[in-house]
Amino acid sequence: MDGDGVGLFRADGVTKVYANGIRANDGISLRVAPGEVYGLLGPNGAGKTTLVKQIIGLLKPTSGRITLGTCDLVADPAAARQLCSYLPQAQVPIDSFRAREAIVLCGRVRGGGGAAVRRRAEELIEALDIGEWRDKRGIALSGGVKRLVGFAMVTVCPGRLVILDEPTNDVDPLRRRLLWNQVRRLGDQGAAVLLVTHNVLEAEKAVDRLAVIDGGRLVAEGTPSAMKSHDRGRLRLQLMIAPGRDAPGLPPFALRSTLVGHNLMTVIAEGDAAVGIKWAEQVIADGAAEEYALSATSLEDAYIDLTRRRPGDGDLDGDGG
Amino acid sequence: MVAWDFADLRLHLPVLSAVLVLQGAGFALGIGLLLGTVPETAAVFLVTGAPVMNLITAGLIFEPQLVAQQRVRGSYEFLQALPVPRSAAAVAWYTVALVTAMPAVALTLVTGAARYHMNLTVTPLVVPAVLLTCLTGVLLGLAIAHGVTVPMVAELLSTTLIFVMFGFSPVAFPAAQLPGWLAAVNQWLPFGSMATIVRAALTSGVASGVPRAYLVVAAWAVGSALVVAWAQGRRG
Repeated sequence: MDGDGVGLFRADGVTKVYANGIRANDGISLRVAPGEVYGLLGPNGAGKTTLVKQIIGLLKPTSGRITLGTCDLVADPAAARQLCSYLPQAQVPIDSFRAREAIVLCGRVRGGGGAAVRRRAEELIEALDIGEWRDKRGIALSGGVKRLVGFAMVTVCPGRLVILDEPTNDVDPLRRRLLWNQVRRLGDQGAAVLLVTHNVLEAEKAVDRLAVIDGGRLVAEGTPSAMKSHDRGRLRLQLMIAPGRDAPGLPPFALRSTLVGHNLMTVIAEGDAAVGIKWAEQVIADGAAEEYALSATSLEDAYIDLTRRRPGDGDLDGDGG
Repeated sequence: MVAWDFADLRLHLPVLSAVLVLQGAGFALGIGLLLGTVPETAAVFLVTGAPVMNLITAGLIFEPQLVAQQRVRGSYEFLQALPVPRSAAAVAWYTVALVTAMPAVALTLVTGAARYHMNLTVTPLVVPAVLLTCLTGVLLGLAIAHGVTVPMVAELLSTTLIFVMFGFSPVAFPAAQLPGWLAAVNQWLPFGSMATIVRAALTSGVASGVPRAYLVVAAWAVGSALVVAWAQGRRG
């Protein structure tokens, strides 16, 4: 990463304490270089949305600095709005707009020239495969298509930092791929991309580096591979618990486990694969589980391990972020 | 931003305009139906007050309701994060409010004047009077929309102010008909003064205290603009 290069995004010791005493962010420091796709992961209430609102000038940090290149985004919120493009988690308000019109108008509002914005809008419409809805009003669009239109609105004339909050929500699997291609292209064009998401599996493929935030603090940062390195030589043994049955007692070789709904995810050493399979088959034979799967560990396992909530922890953002 | 606002509201603006026509012309005609015979002075106040209600309503009601919806749907932050100067966004909204209100203002005046066989004396002062009245209504609406962060409270407050305008402010009737204390209070509130400056531009010898009324309305415009600037600059 280039130290103080043009377009480098930096958050240094960003802390936000609300008037009611809730500490939503606690000394968060991170850097995103131009061309980099940087994931911001964390459970609900981790403080992600609070951090984003401070970046785009809607909230002021209690302490800490946020800069983009040489521009102090905290001191100059108008510049923050100019330099950052922001796709919120909520749908963009385009009920009355035709899809193409919304994209073009947003590009014009962001200062793009008429012809260039129209050309880029058409490129995005084709690239995201939403041409059949080009002239449909937002009110008639499905949630997924509206999401793609929102993405196009935000990126038709992108700022130097593009912040995408759950951009693939409601989007079908095929068009998700198209969207990720465009995210990558944003990076290739020199924008720094901050991707806020709960979708760890998608983030693993899409980001260059990522940070995990929990309880308002940055608890881990690195490349997806580095994040997973802790689980090198380990496997994930996943059991689908039968409805109405309790989760079985854990075998001694389980290194750690998490129960999400009926899904018991256990991490085991590679050398324990055979005994793990035997144990899983026995649980199924006893009727306590319906099926099992053995696979390589993923970023999701590392993420779950990092963000396992402590009793008494509460949501900080209150708005999904 | 003007293009954005018009596109955003294109499904609603015709309805909003129609509602304003019904409000203004309906009020002017409805009072006639209620009373049967309306004295000439009362008719003058009625006909010149009803379009003022149009101008105030366009600014005071629509923006707080729109912003309340944006807050509820979560799109408020997207719009606030667009790289548009707050002043440009306010001017855009003022333009929309004017365009929405003006057909209703004209129709209300024409309908009322025809119903009560009245000859209006329209002077050039009608331009600053209408522009300032609409601007102050818009700024009041923006102050509520952005200053009150709880959507339901913002909507209730703007609706309450509309009731105050209708029933407790000398907009469509003389201030002398109010209890003394309420007339005194209205000396410092904007609605009666808005009616005074518009009435002075449409009639001859009916309105009094016009310079002071301009000052009161302008002061409310400036005060509201300061509240809007504070509310939009505040960052929690």
